[in-house]
Amino acid sequence: MRDVTLAIAGSGGDGVITAGDFIVQAAARKGLHAFMLKSYGPQIRGGESSARIRISDRPIYSQGDFVDFLVVFSWKDFNRFLDEIQLRKGAVVLYDEADTTPPEEFPVDKGLEVELIAVPFKKMASEEIKVPLTKNMVALGVIAELLHLPLDAIKDAVMKKFGKRKPEAAQVNLEAIDLGKTWVSENLPQGTQVVLEAEGSGEPKLVMTGDDAVAFGAIHAGVKVFAGYPITPASPILEFLSKWLPHFGGSVVQTEDEIAAITYAIGASWAGKQAMTASSGPGIALKQEAFGLAAMAEIPLVVVNVQRVGPSTGIPSKSEQADLFQAVGGTHGDVPRVVLAPSDVEDNFQVAVEAFYLAEKYQLPVMILTDQFLGERSETVEPEVLFARKRVISRQLASEEDLKDYKRYKITDTGVSPMAVPGMAGGQHVISGLEHHEDGRPTSSGTLHQIMSEKRARKLPLIAEESGFVRIYGDEDAELAVLAWGSSKGAVREAIERAQEEGIKVKAIVPQLIYPVPNKALDEALRGVKRAVVVELSFGAQFYRYLRAYYDGLPKETYSYARSGANPLLVSEVLEAIKEHAAALGSLQEA
Amino acid sequence: MEPVKLTAKDYKTSVPIVWCPGCGDFGVLNAMQQAAAELQLPPENLMVVSGIGCSSRIAGYINSYGFNSIHGRALPIAAGAKLARPELTVWAAGGDGDGYSIGTNHFVHTIRRNPDITYIVMDNHIYGLTKGQVSPTTPHGDVTKSTPQGNPERPLNPLALALELGATFIAQGFSGNVKHLRDLIVQATQHKGFALLNVKSPCVTFRGRQEFNVIREHGVYLDESHDPSDWNQAHEVTQWTDKIPLGVIYKVEGVPTLEGVAAELQQKALERRKFESATELIEVFH
Repeated sequence: MRDVTLAIAGSGGDGVITAGDFIVQAAARKGLHAFMLKSYGPQIRGGESSARIRISDRPIYSQGDFVDFLVVFSWKDFNRFLDEIQLRKGAVVLYDEADTTPPEEFPVDKGLEVELIAVPFKKMASEEIKVPLTKNMVALGVIAELLHLPLDAIKDAVMKKFGKRKPEAAQVNLEAIDLGKTWVSENLPQGTQVVLEAEGSGEPKLVMTGDDAVAFGAIHAGVKVFAGYPITPASPILEFLSKWLPHFGGSVVQTEDEIAAITYAIGASWAGKQAMTASSGPGIALKQEAFGLAAMAEIPLVVVNVQRVGPSTGIPSKSEQADLFQAVGGTHGDVPRVVLAPSDVEDNFQVAVEAFYLAEKYQLPVMILTDQFLGERSETVEPEVLFARKRVISRQLASEEDLKDYKRYKITDTGVSPMAVPGMAGGQHVISGLEHHEDGRPTSSGTLHQIMSEKRARKLPLIAEESGFVRIYGDEDAELAVLAWGSSKGAVREAIERAQEEGIKVKAIVPQLIYPVPNKALDEALRGVKRAVVVELSFGAQFYRYLRAYYDGLPKETYSYARSGANPLLVSEVLEAIKEHAAALGSLQEA
Repeated sequence: MEPVKLTAKDYKTSVPIVWCPGCGDFGVLNAMQQAAAELQLPPENLMVVSGIGCSSRIAGYINSYGFNSIHGRALPIAAGAKLARPELTVWAAGGDGDGYSIGTNHFVHTIRRNPDITYIVMDNHIYGLTKGQVSPTTPHGDVTKSTPQGNPERPLNPLALALELGATFIAQGFSGNVKHLRDLIVQATQHKGFALLNVKSPCVTFRGRQEFNVIREHGVYLDESHDPSDWNQAHEVTQWTDKIPLGVIYKVEGVPTLEGVAAELQQKALERRKFESATELIEVFH
């Protein structure tokens, strides 16, 4: 096989994620593409957790619908992932022989004819290594041997993690890995292997999570103040920046609440420094009033929303795309804003850069809509791709000329007024959330409110025409198109490729800029399209309804494929939708 | 050439003042303008951040970089600004509703972080802008529009709260004594750290002109017998019930500030590892 999906399921203390991390890092070192999705229950410790890893020599867009290779430390824990871990027919399943579940009760569909192998993971770790916690490393050795994963690269990854700080732990882990490897050769017949035949490019890749990518992107874009409040699944952004931002002359504050986080960022940006905050749905809801303040006072601001399942507390550790309405329509009043949506880990980096580019250039708040599926997954990334798009990030500051008779909200053709920041002599003025005159003085005049609404809105068509915000995959001249956004892109892109292999002409259109709608680029992408299906993980079909409301160029035959989130979008379900609409398009043409 | 000496007039703006005639906040505005002149603060190096309420309009009335923000959020905006530009002077201002009710969470945690900013609260014991509802500092039993049977709740004691939370500078002034208030603002600004200046600033419209007399009658100016470095003495003063303390109640220097700690972290980070550019951070992902 050149494309393998494996899963490891156990309890929180089993080291499932650690083992998964090592596999991904080993693949990256060999220049292979890898993708890891972590999944866990609500417990902090001891709950169930799973790592699902896909490795290939070709770019990977999704988590893979079916698992070829499964390691189960406990059937009880595995049971909780039945929704998410679907086995391929003939898959290899290794389970710990210490688990007392009788074989007839294994939650595995008999029809799948899986190969079940009992392995003494726990016993080997306890009795031979004498460190029960190394169970996961024994499993890692077994997996590596069975999959023909590069053992040297796995050991490198282990050494990198423990080598310097805990040389003894490193040694024990390496022994456990070797033990697992030896167990396979001594106990299993040849041919049990699910051999990964993919050869890496040899050019090492980077491993990054989406949350880290967005934080790194922000540093690359020049963020100087970050304020955040812990929330799943956005906290890794706060943690990454706390660790690294001080190296770049910046500061991080973990604030008392979500509102303080966004208002710290607003204060810092007003004072002249690039600033950002990050949260997830519930926290974003709390920030909405201040988001509107940034729009009214025309303060550059970047807000990251790592979406999770809602409404309310929802399912904090799982993904959904149902914050679109709160992003484009949240907070009161007519609010000029930008909403950007990254679609994979590399994109998280790039969109962070774009967000600062637009926020600073147009002096308004920008919301990045990423999600748990993007934020917490690890992916191999190529540096060239990361830095491919260049942007000059700068704020239009007041000139000497402007300062002679300074007007903070001077009416201009672009709607952007030169900004005087504290410290600039002659630029003193007052700003507020109140409607105002050109010089910032408050007003309650309806006439001025209309004029200022027009001024602020003048930025939007300019933003909509900024280039590079709509991506097209598949057949350029296809009459059938899938419209998708954010993390749905992965499964959609793979489904498009599979459909093409089956002879269906289809393309995917994925805007990175959600609000304002990039009208012209979408018109261009939809030229010749007779039928479109909007695919998303939102029960209420928010993207479909949003496009219907805000965009006039949809084909008459536009349909929705929408369901609630939590379970990742599958390639197979998108493929099915494509086939259905391709057939309908065909009969349409015949008729 | 001698630099031109700044006077209080240099801190006036052309923004029309919306306060009622006789409002206590005029005294606070005058004191702030005089204090700025006393400190010779270049207007462009002064940021005045406020929230929402009658008194929060003050951000527009002082020649500075003013920010009349949203309800309750003056402190986090001010602290964020100070963190971004530690070289500039930051004053936060607002009312008792803004600071001690909707903004209480920020009040508590700003004190803990100790940014070098001055917070001037114009405490009038009423919601004035919304026309007369009970506030967190309205005395128990007082009749207001939202407590027609009398305030059923006991008032919050901001001075005691700040002291308990570890505020590094706590003072109380009276808008009826501009000269004294000016001196307090000067001292609060010179203090390195978070300075709370609670100002008894009567709302003549909803609490009546006699409020000035009440404060005059009960106000006690702290003299040399009060040692502001003595926490226990300060605590005693904050517990007065029939007297209103006026002056510096508590003061401690040398406590690390928000922006000072941030600068130290940056310095230490650079000593640990220096990156030539942000692109190099990619190394951590190998």
